[in-house]
Amino acid sequence: MIFRILPLFLALCLPATAGVLPQPQKSKPEAAPKTLSVLRVNSTCQSYDFVRPWAKKPPVTKRGLGTLIGGGRLLVTAELVANHTFIELEKATTAEKSSAEVERVDYECNLAILKPADPAFLEGMKPLAPDTGVRVGDRATVLQLEPNGEIAQTLGTVTSISVGGYPLDNMGLLLFRLSAPMQQRDGSFTLPAVRDGKLLGLLMRYDARSQTADIISTPVIEHFLKESAKPSYGGFARTGLAFSSTRDPQLRRYIGLKAAGGVYVTEVMKGGAADKAGLKIADVILAVDGHAVDQDGNYEDSAWGRIAFSHLTNTIFHPGDTVPFRVFRDGNILEVPVKLETRDRSKIISESYVVDRAPRYVILGGIVFMELSRPYLQEWGGDWMKQAPPRMVFLDAFQNELPKDRGKIVFISQILPTPDTLGYDELDNLVVSKVNGKEIRCLDDVVEAAKSPVDGYQKIELNEDPGLIFLDAAAIEANRDALIRKYSLPALQRL
Amino acid sequence: MFRPLIFAVIAAGVVEAAPVAKSLVRIEATFQEPSYKAPWNPGEVSGGVGAGFVISGNRIMTNAHVVSNARFLTVSKEGDSRPHPAKVLYIAHDCDMAVLTVEEPDFFRGTVALEFDGIPAIESTVSVYGYPIGGSRLSVTQGIVSRIDFQAYSHSGVDSHLTIQIDAAINPGNSGGPVLQNGKVVGIAFQGYSGDVAQNVGYMIPTPVAKRFLKDIEDGHYDRYVDLALSYKNLFNPAARRALGLKDDDRGVLVGSVYGGGSSEGIVKPGDVLLAIDGLPISSDATIAMDKDSVPLAEVVERKFKGDTVTLDVLRDGKPLHLKIPLNGPWPFTLHSNAYDEDPRFLLFAGLLFQPADQNWMSEYQPDDLRLRYTFDFFIEDKIYRERPEIIVLSGILADPVNAYAADFRYGILDEINGRKILKLADAAEEFAKPAEYYAIKMAGSGRPIILERKAVGEARQRILSRYGVTKEQNP
Repeated sequence: MIFRILPLFLALCLPATAGVLPQPQKSKPEAAPKTLSVLRVNSTCQSYDFVRPWAKKPPVTKRGLGTLIGGGRLLVTAELVANHTFIELEKATTAEKSSAEVERVDYECNLAILKPADPAFLEGMKPLAPDTGVRVGDRATVLQLEPNGEIAQTLGTVTSISVGGYPLDNMGLLLFRLSAPMQQRDGSFTLPAVRDGKLLGLLMRYDARSQTADIISTPVIEHFLKESAKPSYGGFARTGLAFSSTRDPQLRRYIGLKAAGGVYVTEVMKGGAADKAGLKIADVILAVDGHAVDQDGNYEDSAWGRIAFSHLTNTIFHPGDTVPFRVFRDGNILEVPVKLETRDRSKIISESYVVDRAPRYVILGGIVFMELSRPYLQEWGGDWMKQAPPRMVFLDAFQNELPKDRGKIVFISQILPTPDTLGYDELDNLVVSKVNGKEIRCLDDVVEAAKSPVDGYQKIELNEDPGLIFLDAAAIEANRDALIRKYSLPALQRL
Repeated sequence: MFRPLIFAVIAAGVVEAAPVAKSLVRIEATFQEPSYKAPWNPGEVSGGVGAGFVISGNRIMTNAHVVSNARFLTVSKEGDSRPHPAKVLYIAHDCDMAVLTVEEPDFFRGTVALEFDGIPAIESTVSVYGYPIGGSRLSVTQGIVSRIDFQAYSHSGVDSHLTIQIDAAINPGNSGGPVLQNGKVVGIAFQGYSGDVAQNVGYMIPTPVAKRFLKDIEDGHYDRYVDLALSYKNLFNPAARRALGLKDDDRGVLVGSVYGGGSSEGIVKPGDVLLAIDGLPISSDATIAMDKDSVPLAEVVERKFKGDTVTLDVLRDGKPLHLKIPLNGPWPFTLHSNAYDEDPRFLLFAGLLFQPADQNWMSEYQPDDLRLRYTFDFFIEDKIYRERPEIIVLSGILADPVNAYAADFRYGILDEINGRKILKLADAAEEFAKPAEYYAIKMAGSGRPIILERKAVGEARQRILSRYGVTKEQNP
């Protein structure tokens, strides 16, 4: 999945490497001795193949820069180390190397902490302190390494500070946007942006056409580091609600909303923090933690200006904190305390990312069963929303509308043709409802149900045509080894 | 001076050409394609050429697609280029057939009505007549019968019937022309293959389909095809066969879905095994033996008419059953089918354009909206028609202060107006006609309601109509 995102950005920046663009400006007077604060990080990653879930894809090496943050640790983007098999740190000038481990990673905020295997490796280097005072219009420098280990610096301007989507989970967190003409050097845009010798943030993507870089902002980094220091990592909370603007005066009159701002709640995720607090569809959120919320859901932040109020609930506050919401409901104004919590990922029906762990599968007689996840759909390429099997795309897209206790969506992803699957070869992307009469809510259910065949048959019921398929239980058991051998399968299941 | 040319064609070895010249007609049509994006407009006018041939009763047979959406039709006899106004007597969009007539009494004098034959043998030679690529004189090509099979008819886009594939190229202008063997019609040229996929592949409608059409209209009305309205899958798998209690005799198919509103609803059940249809044994690949040929089992129903019955021998839970299915009428939910000769239905309220999403609408708008795509694509499979017989979409917004905040709702599916569930376009028209202080419009899925104040709507009405040149506010 990482590999899908990354080549896209590489492709975008090819024109930049062609030398059409102006050379990055070097050695501005503000530059401090950064040599001592950044390291090259070579990350060899291997993601899983969700179409052939028993196999890994060919390894890819990505290079980025790690930033020393104190405690003998380095900060990088989570994307750089997603599905890593080996991480190597390399000193820029001496090319001295050490392997490293991931101490903490959070794909929602796209950050990871690395620790070198040799604690002495970082000796003599100086951690970068966070820069918390940046404003729109300020200049900042992006650091890159030349092949000879020299630092290349690109000066840019911070053009906006707003809450925007982070890559893997599309979570809305504060990000800085920097306009800077950059060159592709290391196959990754995990690069530090600095100002006056302090860390402004980490680049996570760069668009060569518009020459803009999205930077993981200081508040997000600080929140991540604070959570990482806790005995149990809490991450970034979600309120579990969706809202729309109340700009339309006809809507405001209809609901009798006289107050100035406010946003109209359109969705409350079952079991989420807002749901537990009692927020309802059609409530109007007027203020969060005492900050008035405008018609579009923004509040006036003392540091960052008008930004989305989700910055309060996911970054300023931490999971476990209680944040007061002022709500307009049926003509009354209520104060609703919302206890923040992170999402329980185990309850997600179709996960938006599956990283650092193998996709689960079960093969029964040649029928491949999987649990639906977005990485599976993303195997259809950048246009997967249109190219992937429509039924599966819709199930993923509208999973919030499925019954909450539905469990995972177990489906037949493909058939590996064997004598046992004769006549079934063309079946794929079919949702399984029952196996041997037992309801299926996860792959483990398939394994369990398959232990008790009905009259000697594995009876598989599907939500769609053909509706029902049978396998000879004894025959598939007898043909087990032949199936493994013929298709060179490492195992018939991985759970 | 054209005569020798025709003789030259005939001399090329086609014996049928002489009588065909007295039967073949060139059809010129002026179409008006409705505009779905501005449905109050009359639509663009264009023209086309096709072929047809004279059949008994002073009629001309051609393809439906040659005359669909036609506003004016002329036919001219081969070798006599004078156009004569013609009119459509019957049109069958589900099998791409039409019959026309010419009111001038003398038109058919000297013409020869062609007769129909059966299905030509595989590998036998046939001749295709028509006016390919627009020429005004007859063109003939020869080919052999390559394959006889069920194929999708691209005119409606959803119907499949028996089709004969020949290796003569069929090009635009051939459509509706007769395909002859020994002087008799064995097919009607109707579609080819475009692109690089295949070459020298043409398709003709075989005579059972043409004869069925002529029989259907004998009562003065075309009733459309009847259908079992169920899906079935092959039963090759030996374990499945044993598990379902079937013998090792290569018979039977497994019913997957029975579609609501169709002929089999309440009679056939998913999981039934179909063993025979009208007494003809069904093979496990869903074919039957008919006219010494192996054809899909649907062919039995294909030859039937509204009001007929069909019998099915079924195995249900291991027990044999004999089921009688009355073919009451055609499948009611035709929204996936291309529609012709229909004015787009729409409703304009406060500049919001609501239209039922059908195939015509989808092909014109091609929306990316996921919920809309899901509702349309799985309308039948997921039985969405039960709760929403029509998919009413907010397809466009004629921008005006009254609807300034509705832009985000484009391609949304209309769900409720003032608390009333909207099932059909007429429901929306009714609800908007009621006096109310506010019209609260809820779209499917989550989202705020669109709120329109009655006063604002009233003030905007004439302004929108005149600003956008709207001549009509609804066609329900």
